[in-house]
Amino acid sequence: MPYEEIEHTADYAIRAEGEDLAELFRSAALGMNSLIAPHPVHGGMEVAVPIKLEGMDVEGLLVDWLGELAYLAESRSMLFHRFEFEEISERRLKATLYGRTVDSIRKHIKAVTYHNLEVRETDTGLEATVVFDV
Amino acid sequence: MTHPWTRIDRYRYEIPMSFRPDMRVPACFFSDDTLLESLGEDRSIEQLINTATLPGTVKHALAMPDMHQGYGFPIGGVVATRYPDGIISPGGVGYDINCGVRLLGTHLDREEIAPLMEELASALNTHCPSGVGKGGHVRLKPGELEQILETGSRWALKRGLATPADLERTEEGGCLSGADPAKVSQRAMERGRDQVGTLGAGNHFIEVDMVDEVFDATAADRMGLSPGRVTVQIHCGSRGLGHQVCTDYVKRFQKSIAVHGYRLPDRELVCAPINSPEGADYLAAMNAAANYAFANRQVLAHHIRTAFEEVLTGRVGNTGIYQIYDIAHNMAKIETHEIDGNRLPLCVHRKGATRAFGPGSRELPEAYRDIGQPVLVPGSMGTASWVLVGTSTAMDLTFGSTCHGAGRQLSRNMAKRRVKGAALKRELEEHGIVIRAGSMGGLAEEAPIAYKDVDRVIEVVHGAGIARKVARLVPLAVIKG
Repeated sequence: MPYEEIEHTADYAIRAEGEDLAELFRSAALGMNSLIAPHPVHGGMEVAVPIKLEGMDVEGLLVDWLGELAYLAESRSMLFHRFEFEEISERRLKATLYGRTVDSIRKHIKAVTYHNLEVRETDTGLEATVVFDV
Repeated sequence: MTHPWTRIDRYRYEIPMSFRPDMRVPACFFSDDTLLESLGEDRSIEQLINTATLPGTVKHALAMPDMHQGYGFPIGGVVATRYPDGIISPGGVGYDINCGVRLLGTHLDREEIAPLMEELASALNTHCPSGVGKGGHVRLKPGELEQILETGSRWALKRGLATPADLERTEEGGCLSGADPAKVSQRAMERGRDQVGTLGAGNHFIEVDMVDEVFDATAADRMGLSPGRVTVQIHCGSRGLGHQVCTDYVKRFQKSIAVHGYRLPDRELVCAPINSPEGADYLAAMNAAANYAFANRQVLAHHIRTAFEEVLTGRVGNTGIYQIYDIAHNMAKIETHEIDGNRLPLCVHRKGATRAFGPGSRELPEAYRDIGQPVLVPGSMGTASWVLVGTSTAMDLTFGSTCHGAGRQLSRNMAKRRVKGAALKRELEEHGIVIRAGSMGGLAEEAPIAYKDVDRVIEVVHGAGIARKVARLVPLAVIKG
């Protein structure tokens, strides 16, 4: 499983993993989706949204990435399940997001936090724990 | 097991500066044996010690008895820094800028309203949008959102959604000066545009309460509180706009750390000198978001008045609703406090802590100046809430601050595992509490067992003298998203 939910006293947290940066970012996005809408009911056509981000470091980039997706969920009721990365490095990414509007949003993510956030190397690739303020 | 604190009196514990080399001031927290034991694996004390390392911190870093783990600062944290060259930290305010509580008074007693409570709860639920994705009923014209950010509750007064007495009995008159909409990002504005007059979800709620017991007859009388009297509480903040402001500045301040040469034990403690460009911008943006929250609670109060009139006119004596007070419990304020005999301007961060100014404070409305500032402490859903007043001891010990609520002790998942929303709803209803909840999962997350015992938290602040009990309220109806 590329992500799992972990315990947090006041809010929500996930641990995501992937063999490289693109997979880690994808896993983290899917993990956040599972908090926003665990049983999504999709409507409408698939939509493609381009995205370009720059961060101070890989953790900052991950926070911005998830922040963009949380914003699109809140403002357009859209969840994204497929990601094509044209470019991804520790401080930049350029990608296309593919997703649909969804009827069954359970949770709003108020913010993606830096709490305990560190992208770590593991035997199989990379992992990160992300805490969301809800 | 060794721990870094020593008990200095019945309710106060201190961690000396010598405990860690990067501490600039001691850390001090208020608690008792039971509350301390319930902390378990929670990292709030470590976070409190971290806040004692912030540049410009004055006297001591504090935590209130409802403390629990937060982002950077513990929830329940109070830290004052020198103004203007000390730091300001968005983590010391929280993502929900000016999350706070408003208490409204009525002229009704429980007996009059009990037969009509189901109808009233439904009307409140209809008039006060709550829950995920719900927009507000107030349509803003171009430029109006900027006015809300600049003038807060004064915008609502101009719009006919407030009375002058409402503003007089709101912290800061419902309008912080120095707010600048230009320092609020377009994305934050977008998130806030449709959310004026909405409750949101999570632990936000509207509650119809009854005064259960009075502890200070003079103060209670001043607020119009007597046993059996019906009141209404609103607990919410600055919604998506405030969350985005915090997110924007936490990101912007990441760069400040290197520029100013800070070494921080936690990235969520990012900060900048108040008189730096980014520090000044954050203060102006935070004040704008705070004004949004005051306006938000004011519009909700207006909707509550509408609901009461709609359901109760002709069926009870007096449907009028008046403002008792409105407080912020996630804010940073520029205030003057006495430190070692000198009156100093300070930036007081209160994150999950409430201002509790004592009698004689000029900032208080005339009606309360001799009794002290009303302090509103909502309990968890289905349990008691409290009205207290600020004290001169709070001015001495805690920069005029006290607790804000019960504080969580169980994770949301743990709460949902132990409690099913539908069963909790039935149990609350069996206790005579009417519930309107948008989500059963959300209800379970807010179950009383997920929170510390609010009565115990109140005993600590009252016993320590940093607030004085006035009245205990119990719920009659709860509306949440």
